[in-house]
Amino acid sequence: MLRYVLGRLLGAIPTVFLIVTISFFLIRIAPGGPFDLERPLEAKVMENLNKIYHLNEPLWNQYLLYLKSVAQLDFGPSFYFRDFTINELFAQSLPISIQLGLSALCLALVAGGTMGVFAALRQNKSADYAVMAAATLGVTVPNFVVAPILTLLLGVWLGWLPVGGWNGGKFVNIILPVVTLALPQIAVVARLTRGSMIEALRSNHVRTARAYGLTGFMVVVVHALRGAILPVVSYLGPAAAALLTGSVVIETIFGIPGIGRYFVQGALNRDYTLVMGTVVVVACFVILFNLIVDLLYALLDPRVRYD
Amino acid sequence: MSTQSKTPVLAITNLTVDFETATGTVNAVRGVDIHVNSGETVAIVGESGSGKSQAMMAAMGLLASNGRAGGEVIYEDRNILGLPVSKLNAVRGRKITMIFQEPMTSLDPLYTIGRQLAEPLVVHGGLSWRAARARALELLKLVNIPEPERKIKSYPYEMSGGQRQRVMIAMALANDPDVLIADEPTTALDVTTQAQILDLLADLQKRLGMSVIFITHDLGIVRRIADRVYVMKTGEVVESGETAALFTSPEHPYTRMLLDAEPTGHKSPVPESTPVLLEAQKIKVEFEFDTGFLQPKHILRAVDDISFSLRQGQTLGIVGESGSGKSTLGRAVLNLLPATGRVVFKGQQISGRDRAAMRAVRKDMQLIFQDPFGSLSPRMTVGQVISEGLMVHEPSLTARDRDARACQALEEVSLDPAMRNRYPHEFSGGQRQRIAIARTMVLKPELVVLDEPTSALDRTIQKQVVELLRDLQKAHGLTYLFISHDLAVVRAIADTVMVMQRGKVVEAGTVDAIFEAPKSDYTRELIGAAMLTQRQMMETA
Amino acid sequence: MSKSIRVTALAAVLMAATTLTAAAEVVYHRGNTADPETLDQHKTSTTYEAHILRDLYEGLVAYSAAGKIIPGVASDWTVSDDGKVYTFTLRDDAKWSNGDPVVAGDFVYSLRRIMTPETGAKYANVLYPILNAEAVNKGDMKPEDLGVKALDDHTLEISLAAPTPYFIDLLGHQTGLPVHPASVEKFGSDFVKAENIVTNGPFTLAEFVPNAHVKADKNPHFHDADKVTIDTIYFHPTEDRGAALRRFQAGELHTNNDAPTEQVAFMRENLGEQFRVAPYLGTYYYALNHEDEALSNPDVRQALSMSIDREFLADEIWGSTMVAGYSFVPPGIGNYGDPAFADYKDMSQIDREEKALELLENAGYGPDNPFQLTINYNTSENHKNTAVAVADMWKPLGVDVSLVNTDTKTHYAMLRDRQDFDVARAGWIGDYSDPQNFLFMVESDNDGFNYARYNNPEYDALMDEAAVTVDLEKRADVLKKAEELFMRDLPFIPMMYYGSMNLVSDKVAGFEDNLLNIHPSRWMTISE
Repeated sequence: MLRYVLGRLLGAIPTVFLIVTISFFLIRIAPGGPFDLERPLEAKVMENLNKIYHLNEPLWNQYLLYLKSVAQLDFGPSFYFRDFTINELFAQSLPISIQLGLSALCLALVAGGTMGVFAALRQNKSADYAVMAAATLGVTVPNFVVAPILTLLLGVWLGWLPVGGWNGGKFVNIILPVVTLALPQIAVVARLTRGSMIEALRSNHVRTARAYGLTGFMVVVVHALRGAILPVVSYLGPAAAALLTGSVVIETIFGIPGIGRYFVQGALNRDYTLVMGTVVVVACFVILFNLIVDLLYALLDPRVRYD
Repeated sequence: MSTQSKTPVLAITNLTVDFETATGTVNAVRGVDIHVNSGETVAIVGESGSGKSQAMMAAMGLLASNGRAGGEVIYEDRNILGLPVSKLNAVRGRKITMIFQEPMTSLDPLYTIGRQLAEPLVVHGGLSWRAARARALELLKLVNIPEPERKIKSYPYEMSGGQRQRVMIAMALANDPDVLIADEPTTALDVTTQAQILDLLADLQKRLGMSVIFITHDLGIVRRIADRVYVMKTGEVVESGETAALFTSPEHPYTRMLLDAEPTGHKSPVPESTPVLLEAQKIKVEFEFDTGFLQPKHILRAVDDISFSLRQGQTLGIVGESGSGKSTLGRAVLNLLPATGRVVFKGQQISGRDRAAMRAVRKDMQLIFQDPFGSLSPRMTVGQVISEGLMVHEPSLTARDRDARACQALEEVSLDPAMRNRYPHEFSGGQRQRIAIARTMVLKPELVVLDEPTSALDRTIQKQVVELLRDLQKAHGLTYLFISHDLAVVRAIADTVMVMQRGKVVEAGTVDAIFEAPKSDYTRELIGAAMLTQRQMMETA
Repeated sequence: MSKSIRVTALAAVLMAATTLTAAAEVVYHRGNTADPETLDQHKTSTTYEAHILRDLYEGLVAYSAAGKIIPGVASDWTVSDDGKVYTFTLRDDAKWSNGDPVVAGDFVYSLRRIMTPETGAKYANVLYPILNAEAVNKGDMKPEDLGVKALDDHTLEISLAAPTPYFIDLLGHQTGLPVHPASVEKFGSDFVKAENIVTNGPFTLAEFVPNAHVKADKNPHFHDADKVTIDTIYFHPTEDRGAALRRFQAGELHTNNDAPTEQVAFMRENLGEQFRVAPYLGTYYYALNHEDEALSNPDVRQALSMSIDREFLADEIWGSTMVAGYSFVPPGIGNYGDPAFADYKDMSQIDREEKALELLENAGYGPDNPFQLTINYNTSENHKNTAVAVADMWKPLGVDVSLVNTDTKTHYAMLRDRQDFDVARAGWIGDYSDPQNFLFMVESDNDGFNYARYNNPEYDALMDEAAVTVDLEKRADVLKKAEELFMRDLPFIPMMYYGSMNLVSDKVAGFEDNLLNIHPSRWMTISE
């Protein structure tokens, strides 16, 4: 098992390397540089800036320098947030994104799973249709619509919850962003759970469990749900990676200092190091969560073994 | 079988089952009366769709959510039909238990055997998990599972089908039931395993004295184990009575038809002088399994050094149990999967050719699958399905020509050409297999590999399909490679037979030689298990 | 100890406690366009950084609530007769937040630092009028050669290369704010970190969490600290203007320096006086490429300009948050009179269109001889709406317009690199209140801003003349002549003057609308 995990992690290194290489050169193709303003800089000033950030060196040299520092887990100075290094920015924002994303993930799993099981047990009845209609709505209405509506309703009109700000992750501040972030996921999880649950409830071994007079809870939770959760788990892997690395929309609307905004800000500001750092972090999360999903699979399904 | 009393343990009266579907109500069971006396074994016989399984599912409260049941199911002076689940569970899984057709899927793949055996003991018997586990071990011993101490910790996927069915039986016996309902418990198993399971059931019944309701389509089994028989057709019991009486003097025409449904007849061998169409030499197929990171690969030899030749018009029957490599051999011969060895077809070597080079001979060598539905695209009309191959292999034909050929092919398989504009799902299983045959025949092939073409069909339909295949062979001089686990069918269609076990040929020879004077023990075991001798005895009697 | 004394003592304690509660901390939540790229005043370039820096530091001069220059660290200054030497007298009570006095040497150090090439100051050129500044910044001279001298701790002398009447305005820019030399020497570029920073303004930095807030606490050492009523400011980056409006409505923000243009009607109706629109020192314009065949003809340029219905753009598309603009220099600017308005300013739109058609036909174009133009703009809903409207207005003239939008960096990189374009959107907000800050853009040697590639020696000569004219009235006349040339030749088509939008809560006093849109927090009070 440990060997398998190590093998997978080692195997991820070439992937990350490739991603770093591609994004390093791609971002530099974009017109404009990190220090271009609407007001053009004096040539000399630009030259000085380029010198400070090694941008005057040949591209391959910059690439090697970058690889070297990434290998030492140093993502370099931010070109835009000039008072910070990328590591400082991430150290500050990543925990926030993870807290937000994990909360949303748990909410999605619990709420979506419950709704899905509930709907599956009442398949083709009005409760089922209600849940599925809500789920469809959850998937189709984008969060840049949901967020303003929720903040207007609960924040501005009713005044129950703050409209924005992180405030050190206080519970009241976290509710709306978590809910907004989780809503589409709740919908997907509900749909997935319902589908696989219906299938599981129809399966022969659940019929066996019924035929042997097991209680409803045992039939539904012990025998049907454990198998039905597998597709949800494989969906949640990439979804978790996406949730935990932040959401531009949510962070911008709620004014949350997470990591999600950095990718867009970095790209728009041509903050090369910030973009690259975000790419590496996201890639690592995706790789990590795929691994976690595979390990979870082995935990849930004895037929899956890594040894 | 002899010590039965005449008091019914379970009495079903006027049972009806209806299903609400999108296209209206389906009356699956229409008022049947079935009872079983204490210590008795009754069989319910019928073909697929006769309602035999649904009747028992209804009695156990296991209908799908769109099903409704009516009538009475009396157990211990109480109607258990329609009881709320909590009350029903006092009986269900405890005093009346059930085993199912699908041993591979009837156990939860995610829990150990021990845990699944223990669950009903804990729920019904009030045992602690520890005590339940001890009892589970006893039960595994009772059903003759080898190494029960080890198996109790196994997961279902680690066991064979036969072992799983034994586990199911153990589960059924856990709470000392009065009635055991067995729904086609041996159908999905290989013949030799089938026989063992039947023996086990008979033995247990004798020792424990319970009643058994046995649902099956296999008359051989009925004759062997049942005291009484109910024959069901389209939701009704058409005939019932003592087994011996029913078999000797069936009254209802349907019963007579069922009894007569085993494929019969014989194919005469082709003369020695007929040219060889297909020659296979030293065919080997290996599969590699990835066993994990940095681990040596595990190699399975599915086909191990097999040679044979087939003359024009000959039918070679390849028999063997699941996993014997017979289907793999069929595909290797057609060059559909990587194999070593030499295959010569019509004097040309085809082994080792790439896809493009194979295209020239593909038309002449065709494959028919077991699953008549899965192999037909659901979004194409039957006419399109049949003429599709013509577009590839005879591109010069016009649409009109293709249509004409499709009609002709449908007529050959005794289907109305007017039906060619319908979709596969509108046809029955037997009709779909005819469509699959027509799709093959339209290309006028010379060699046809048939992989279990009748296994998914009812006996009466099987018989018709076998006859159709024989007629087509005669009419077009076809050569067949007929792969099947069903010895009765092979006997009726092949002139030479090859018996396979674990990738190797155990025995080969003419039909008569194999069936009348089998040389190897394995062949004898197979034939014995298939109860052909009994059948043969009846025929000769 | 007698009983009465004890009672008195108790009463005193109680009173102190009550006073403490009464004087609960005043917190100002200030919405501010975006996060600062940096809090190093020498590296900054944006207005939203300026808002923060002006609260943290005090330059030689400062701004009043009305956005007027007032004495800052310098209590007084004199200018030599030739306009080239400024002598500043520094106030005695100016102190850094660590208690150090602010001395003339600090300014010498700071001005040398911004001009040192290694600093990488983006806006060093604002202070180029200082003697040798440009040469130092380009590495041709040493920082010690900069024309800045501390005559004593409280007297600073700045020499200029040429008389620059708006020099005092320049010093109001954030580039003129001093740094604390000892901290910079000790911490290098990390002197801006909250734990290291030493400032001399009304507030000092407590915390900078990117994408969350910049927190500033009142600086007790500030010379005017007694009059500063706010204890803590949170600057919230409000990139999403819609979200900012909601936070404002919910009372989470006291002010915000922008508002969603698409909700102007809603805000006017629901926020009343809290939604403020004021003239702003900026012009929204379309740059024309004079190297394009059709656009090289002045009549074509005039026709295009004339046919734009600026009132429609300002009122309908921008919801009256802009003002129709007929000159490049916005009205109300300092050191200037009325700008040189286009002669068709008072003509009706119908007459203008007729005139435009006539001009075009004379030039060989018109509906019968259509020609094609591409408008480039940086992605934004209102820039798009504006371009679509302009395309519509040009259509009757026989101009076939296609639109291209790119992100801001790409857009300005295209203009900077002088790639081929026909018409490009741009805007200019003045750094200081002087017409030179607008008109210099199209001098023929201005590589960076002369997107039009306008090259008129007469114009250049007028600009040079203005640069050496000390008499402000005379200088204004010269500059106006230059602007008249501008309006005749149209390197750019000025379309609108910017308006500033602010959301200001009823609870906030001391927030005065002004042309520069400068609102130092020290003047504000907040009532709960």
